[in-house]
Amino acid sequence: MRVTSSMMLRSTLRDLSQGLSRLQETQTKLASGKQITRPSADPGGTSSAMGMRQDLRRADQRLRSLNDAQGWLETADATLTSSLDSLGRAKEIAVRAGNTGALADPVARQALAAEIRSIRSEMLALANTNYGNRSIFNGTASGAAYDTNGVYLGNSSSIVRDVAPSTSIAVNLTGPQVFGTAGGPVGDVFETLDRMATAIANGDSAAMATEHTNLDGFRNTVGAATVEIGTRAARLAEAKIRAEDSKLLLTTQLSEVEDVDVVEALITAKAQENSYQASLQVAAKILPPSLLDYLR
Amino acid sequence: MPNFSSLNTAFSGMNSQKRVLDVIAHNISNATTEGYHRQRADLKSLGGTAATGVFSGRSQSYGVDVVGVTRAYDVLLAGRAVREDAARSAANMTSTSMSTVEGVFPEPSDLGLAHQLDVFWGSWTDLANDPGSLAARTQLLENADTLATNLRRSSNDLQAVADSAVSRMTTLAAEVNDLADQIANLNRTISTTFGENNDLLDQRDVLVGRMANLTGAVARPSDANGIDLYINNRSIVSGTIVQRVDGTTGPLTWLSDGSSVNPTSGEAQALTAVITDVVPRYKTKLDDIASTLVTQVNALHTTGYDQSSTTGRNFFDPANLTAATISLSVDVAGQPANIAAGAPVLPGPVAPGVLDGEMARQIAALADAATGADTKYQSMITTLAVETRSAQGRASIQEQVADTAIRDADSVGSVSLDEEMANLTAAQRAFEANARIITAIDEMLGFLIERTGVVGR
Repeated sequence: MRVTSSMMLRSTLRDLSQGLSRLQETQTKLASGKQITRPSADPGGTSSAMGMRQDLRRADQRLRSLNDAQGWLETADATLTSSLDSLGRAKEIAVRAGNTGALADPVARQALAAEIRSIRSEMLALANTNYGNRSIFNGTASGAAYDTNGVYLGNSSSIVRDVAPSTSIAVNLTGPQVFGTAGGPVGDVFETLDRMATAIANGDSAAMATEHTNLDGFRNTVGAATVEIGTRAARLAEAKIRAEDSKLLLTTQLSEVEDVDVVEALITAKAQENSYQASLQVAAKILPPSLLDYLR
Repeated sequence: MPNFSSLNTAFSGMNSQKRVLDVIAHNISNATTEGYHRQRADLKSLGGTAATGVFSGRSQSYGVDVVGVTRAYDVLLAGRAVREDAARSAANMTSTSMSTVEGVFPEPSDLGLAHQLDVFWGSWTDLANDPGSLAARTQLLENADTLATNLRRSSNDLQAVADSAVSRMTTLAAEVNDLADQIANLNRTISTTFGENNDLLDQRDVLVGRMANLTGAVARPSDANGIDLYINNRSIVSGTIVQRVDGTTGPLTWLSDGSSVNPTSGEAQALTAVITDVVPRYKTKLDDIASTLVTQVNALHTTGYDQSSTTGRNFFDPANLTAATISLSVDVAGQPANIAAGAPVLPGPVAPGVLDGEMARQIAALADAATGADTKYQSMITTLAVETRSAQGRASIQEQVADTAIRDADSVGSVSLDEEMANLTAAQRAFEANARIITAIDEMLGFLIERTGVVGR
């Protein structure tokens, strides 16, 4: 084939510019730290990177929901434990009031009745416990769960948090679920405490025995609620560990797909730079000479 | 020595070598001229007429003459170079345009729409976690507005790609018309020029190559050394008659009857594809994403209840179903309390508690919908990535093909300085040798004139 200097010039220029553009590509990767600087650099990688980024942000979001739910359940757990304590104390007082000595002493009975009433208001305060600025036992209604008379103001809706893909946990128990439903012969825990205080004040031992039984029933209910909340908290903790695991895994995988292997990129850049330098030198040596230089 | 016609022979040799030198000088001076093909003086020996003269005996005239100057031009190779270069031009333009379209979507990153969609859905989850919080509601509105703004910006950026293609097409049409005129003029000049017109042919070939790069026009030789140009089998230059094209509205049309030109190669083909195919296609995809977002969110949101237990509110404006127009509805824009976070309580349906976040939770779950905006966006980006990559691949392959074709054509036509130097030396020596002949004959004549008839003097 006939080769002329203009052809050599053209192909040398093309090779040089290709070498430079390869170098620039590596340079961009190094500077950005990203293997995929634009979708077309690696369509498959882009697709999986986008999927992973989405999953990662979902996991992040889920962790936030989980933390919120955990706080909610911890508050409920603490409240229920305190409620159980209070009810235990009420039971002790009921037992004491049932003693023959106490039954005969009106002053002691009044004192015990007053103590029961204070336990009732303690329970009421516990039933109005807030998480954040939201009452935890009143369903989805706003404001306090119980008014000062012990009337439930909330509703029966449950509050649900997504804790894993297509898995959700209800984080709340409503007032009636924990403290019983008002009305009827037994009523809720507040009515029972109220009646017990009255029975103690009146020295009505039959009524005291009835309310004592009722109180035991409520201790069981609240105890069951505590267990329920504890179970949910355990599920939540598990879900949280899984979410954190998957977040870690996703971060690692994403980095593998997206991030530049710096050592490899540096070596590539160096090799490309060398080859570019070499082609520059060769071009400088080869291009100028022609027969012209040797004809005198 | 029959007679002294050798003087003439040597003279014709010197004369011809001088012409050869002229051509070599022309070649060297045009060594870097675009489209120049090296030329050769065609020498022909003057085979003698045999005549018998009384004194000269059998005589024959010898010598050399330059019968013409031809250019080193291979029709086949040159045609292939023009065709492949036009295809390169088209592939490059396609690749550049696809890269621009791709640049509208900075993925994968924390700047793209994918991230903003995630943030948007995340805000719904935050709202579900804390439906009473004004901060969560305001945050959601802000993020929704950012998402809508970015959808609108992406749509506008896509349109800008098409718009700049249209304005490029307008200048391209003007350039095409100008080139057609020049080619027609050269056709006229060449047909009326007698003798050598190699340089005019070269000039015309350059214009034809440029024309092919722009429109994929194909040249066919006509009579009187003319060239006819066709775009998609319709004549744009026929001898000296020119048909004009118009590109002010985008795709090229014939000015005479307004029908479309439909270029089959060259920049114009790539631009046409950008204007009529690539941009509309991706805009449609983006519109689909926007309308999916609006429809799916609104379908749930209208059944939800806001903080004042009102239902039936739209979140996005249901009238704006394209990416270019998507916006928040007047119901919620600037009124965070009107976001319907609560789901109706069944049976009934009756309004839920003020702090119900169930509807927000359901809307947040749209993020994972199989036919949701996120899935559609990801599939669009994947399509775009694959299409861009293959456009780039085609461009770099075509670059090689065109380079090879041009090199093949160059190997015939381009000026080699080495070769010219060798020829120069040969011509110079030949000239000197011819001069030597004259000297020799001169000496012989001198000998005859001065030394004959002086015997015994």
